Amino acid sequence: MDEEVNGILVAAHELKAPLAVLRQLALSFGEMDEKDEHIRSEMISVSERAIKQVNDLAKIRRLEDGLFEMEPVSVRVVCDAVTRELEYLFNHNKRELFIKYSNRSQLVVANKDLLYSVVYNFLLNAMHYSGEGTRAELVVRDCYDKVRIMVRDYGPALPMDVWREMKRGWVAKPTSIAMRPGSSGLGLFIASRFSRYMNAAVGAVRHRDGTSFYVELPSSKQASLF
Amino acid sequence: MIFIIDDDEIMAECVARAAGGTVKIFGNAIEAMSAIADGELPDLIFLDILLTGPDGFTFLNETISYKDTVEIPVVIVSSLDFGERDLSTYGVVGVLNKDKMRPDDVRKYVEEYAK
Repeated sequence: MDEEVNGILVAAHELKAPLAVLRQLALSFGEMDEKDEHIRSEMISVSERAIKQVNDLAKIRRLEDGLFEMEPVSVRVVCDAVTRELEYLFNHNKRELFIKYSNRSQLVVANKDLLYSVVYNFLLNAMHYSGEGTRAELVVRDCYDKVRIMVRDYGPALPMDVWREMKRGWVAKPTSIAMRPGSSGLGLFIASRFSRYMNAAVGAVRHRDGTSFYVELPSSKQASLF
Repeated sequence: MIFIIDDDEIMAECVARAAGGTVKIFGNAIEAMSAIADGELPDLIFLDILLTGPDGFTFLNETISYKDTVEIPVVIVSSLDFGERDLSTYGVVGVLNKDKMRPDDVRKYVEEYAK
């Protein structure tokens, strides 16, 4: 593994314990009055997202051991679970989430946890970069013998260099995207690594008013046996 | 009485705050084992696994080795992922993940085993 990437993963591991402590501290205050409760719940929410990213980074280290089992996974079950988890965040940040399933193949060959993280990272990015009052879209559809999960945002366009890197199907290391302020490229890097493990490709489509990120997973033929 | 064994002081305090009641915090397994050897038998133990010095499983091996401590219910509080693993042979009645647990989860075990 790239030394720089390995350094990031080690640093992430070190951050895990303090983040868990911060979250517990915020929780241990108990419910507060309306004004302070907003700050407290924000602290909990931010630390939970950070813990999730740290855990995802820890998983990247374990990918090389091949411990993540591939199995038929229902795309809808995973996407529904992610959108349920992020629903509060979208509402809280005044973003709308539009969801459309038009896939006939219900099952893909994937690892459920890894796929969950891929969709989670795409949607979190979309929420972050879509402006207040705009929406993000999650669309699932068939793509020949694959299923494409696509997340569209209405944020700044993706720079050409990142788009070119994504065209080859994966991202080598986290790169901050200047046109997308505050971006570390971490979510995209995690999604890319997990997708690669699952023999899936990630990609992006540039729009004049935003970007669509997608992952294409092989359909599972298991259901057709019945 | 409830024992909390965790080398992370603040995390231990958070668990103590959630547990309420009479609580004793230990920063390592040896201190907790010494207290038990001195006759302090807790109703419930919240135990971290990755401790400085002997780890949580070394502690559990001790508690299940003696007649007077084998029945003490233990709740593991760790950031390690134990999945569906059955740890009841170690006297473990539950596992709380530090990344996901909430004060109510701690209280649930206190209500059940230390009231």
